[in-house]
Amino acid sequence: MGSAKTPLRVCVVIPAYNEGSVIGDVVAAITKTFKQTPYYTEVVVINDGSKDNTGIVARKHGATVINHILNSGAGGATATGLSYAQQNDFDIAVTMDGDGQHDPNDVVRGVKEIISNNSDLLIGSRLIDSKGMSRVKVLGNKGLSLITFIIFGISSTDSQSGLRIFSREALENLKWQTSGYEFCSEMLWRAKQQGLTINEYPIKAIYTDYSIKKGQNNWNAINIIKSLLKRRIAELLG
Amino acid sequence: MAILGAITQYKLGRSTKQKSIIRISLWILIAIGLALSQTIYEWMFSHSLTQTEPLSLFDVVQITAIVVVFYIANRTRSKIDILEKRVQDLHQELSVRLSDIK
Repeated sequence: MGSAKTPLRVCVVIPAYNEGSVIGDVVAAITKTFKQTPYYTEVVVINDGSKDNTGIVARKHGATVINHILNSGAGGATATGLSYAQQNDFDIAVTMDGDGQHDPNDVVRGVKEIISNNSDLLIGSRLIDSKGMSRVKVLGNKGLSLITFIIFGISSTDSQSGLRIFSREALENLKWQTSGYEFCSEMLWRAKQQGLTINEYPIKAIYTDYSIKKGQNNWNAINIIKSLLKRRIAELLG
Repeated sequence: MAILGAITQYKLGRSTKQKSIIRISLWILIAIGLALSQTIYEWMFSHSLTQTEPLSLFDVVQITAIVVVFYIANRTRSKIDILEKRVQDLHQELSVRLSDIK
């Protein structure tokens, strides 16, 4: 990680699909918060084939925008962002949601935490203190965390959290195959296979009407489970 | 699992009601068949429906062909997986290079 002379380089990756109405505020808030830190920061929005003006708005607010030619899903967009961070020699990368559900202060706290506890992958868990989250969402997220434990043997309180912080080592070694939301669980599995240190820290999620509307349908959990099982069985069969 | 899959596809709006009903009915029938397999077999046995001729050459060829088709399908699936990963990587690299990064 960065020496005393050169500031630590942090890349904030925001995968976004049709988030034109909120992405500007998200980019502005995270940029403003990181300006008060000693880190060199670049905010990168992965415009995942949006049909609205997500890319234009994000660029207008100072973000670097990578436009996906095709819509690839959250997993594909996150992979592109982390690949950019790795290619551009960032020390730490952060992924956060583009719907404004993450508090920028939690992101900065996560960066400090990963530096202090030497983790490779730090997950911002919304379920250590789930106050404010609807019961249905708590149930869905806990259920998926349980499934992740059953299929991959990884214990996490919030396996589906979009707020994740990666060390340089994680950036170089972490690769996954799924491109939809199931990548959240697969990423933990791959990190475990690579022998990376995984930790969690509590965060609070900000739920607005917009983020609730944009959030995942609980029925999508079935598709995630199917895809994870397929991936696990395919790996077992070689 | 398949019934759950059919319900999921309907709830997510990816399948029509009619299609979903057909799929669910089909899998329920299969489930009943599996659950009552012993009863069905005993009924068939009591009505001499299990006494068949020895397998013909055609039967052997047909069964072998089915096994081969399964093998080819599995190999194709693996190849598609690899190809999908390569297309994803290519798309990722192209997107980074073609984007007008400041």
